[in-house]
Amino acid sequence: MHNDDRSESSELERAAFAALPRERDPGPALEERIVRALSKRGLLAPGNGPRWIRRPLLAIGVAASVAVFALGVAVGQWLGTRTVTESMAVAQERTAMQAAAAVQRAGSAYVTALAALTAFTELGDSADASSLAQGREAALAALTAAVRELVVLAPDDPLALSIQELIERRWVSGPETDGIEVRNVVWF
Amino acid sequence: MLADRVWRERDEEAFRVLYRRHTPALYQFALRLVGGNTFDAEDVVQQAWIHAAEGLGAFRWESAFSTWLHGIVLNLCRALFRRADRRWIELKEDSVALAPRQNHDQLDLEAALATLPPGYRTVVILHDVEGFTHEQIAARLEISANTSKSQLSRGRQVLRSLLRPEAVSR
Repeated sequence: MHNDDRSESSELERAAFAALPRERDPGPALEERIVRALSKRGLLAPGNGPRWIRRPLLAIGVAASVAVFALGVAVGQWLGTRTVTESMAVAQERTAMQAAAAVQRAGSAYVTALAALTAFTELGDSADASSLAQGREAALAALTAAVRELVVLAPDDPLALSIQELIERRWVSGPETDGIEVRNVVWF
Repeated sequence: MLADRVWRERDEEAFRVLYRRHTPALYQFALRLVGGNTFDAEDVVQQAWIHAAEGLGAFRWESAFSTWLHGIVLNLCRALFRRADRRWIELKEDSVALAPRQNHDQLDLEAALATLPPGYRTVVILHDVEGFTHEQIAARLEISANTSKSQLSRGRQVLRSLLRPEAVSR
């Protein structure tokens, strides 16, 4: 690929175009979304082994999700009585850097657990539907709580504010809006 | 070869390697074409990988694979423009309204590109950023090389008016 019409642009303009980035990372969420989309279309094989192995894994995954949810509720209620700074300092007992690292680890654990739960939805077993719904509700509750904390942490961040507004509008709305059922979780 | 493993074995790990190798460039390309809309760019990249996974069996070489992926992204962006009833390459030159001219000083090249009408933006990106010739652009966009040249010339003119309005004599 060679340009055949370079004469009309100046050196400065060519340099400006050449300096534009050629790559940008869209983030890990898109990768997981695309892998799920391909799996649903049968273009990728499930990565969790044969179905008879996945059945016990489903129970383990759901149980883990519920445990994470319960732990999140307990920790959230405890943290809710403190300011963000105090809570993080107490939780980590050390520095803000360690608190930030804890957020990173918790975020990774959250996404990993959610991805594991999502993988089980493809089994389509109605007997586990309530557990899957509970896991989904736990994930949404955690997400909502996290966004609230993020807004406290950075009250001027327009992205955080927009996400909070969007989530809370759907969160508090009844079944008559957006098809979102009434939540049973009282968070923080 | 990774593409073969994805195509023949539906190998998720092989796909992830392919994905991580090519997606940053595809995403940047798509993001630029759709004018910086991250939601559109993500959708385009997702659809591109679905199309690619469905037709992977035909590809054997990595370089051709990358070019092929970019072609898919380009076509999906064009379809997006058409679905959204946005201005596309068929527009006559004199029918194109210039982008808003306020806040010129704050516009950098990336932002200025995003404000171009999609037809101009696509040709400018393909030619000045990606390095395609007018003949290659004409083949990919199903237009004539002369149309490509006129779109590029007009697109550059609009860009200059956005970036350095005082330097453009009209």
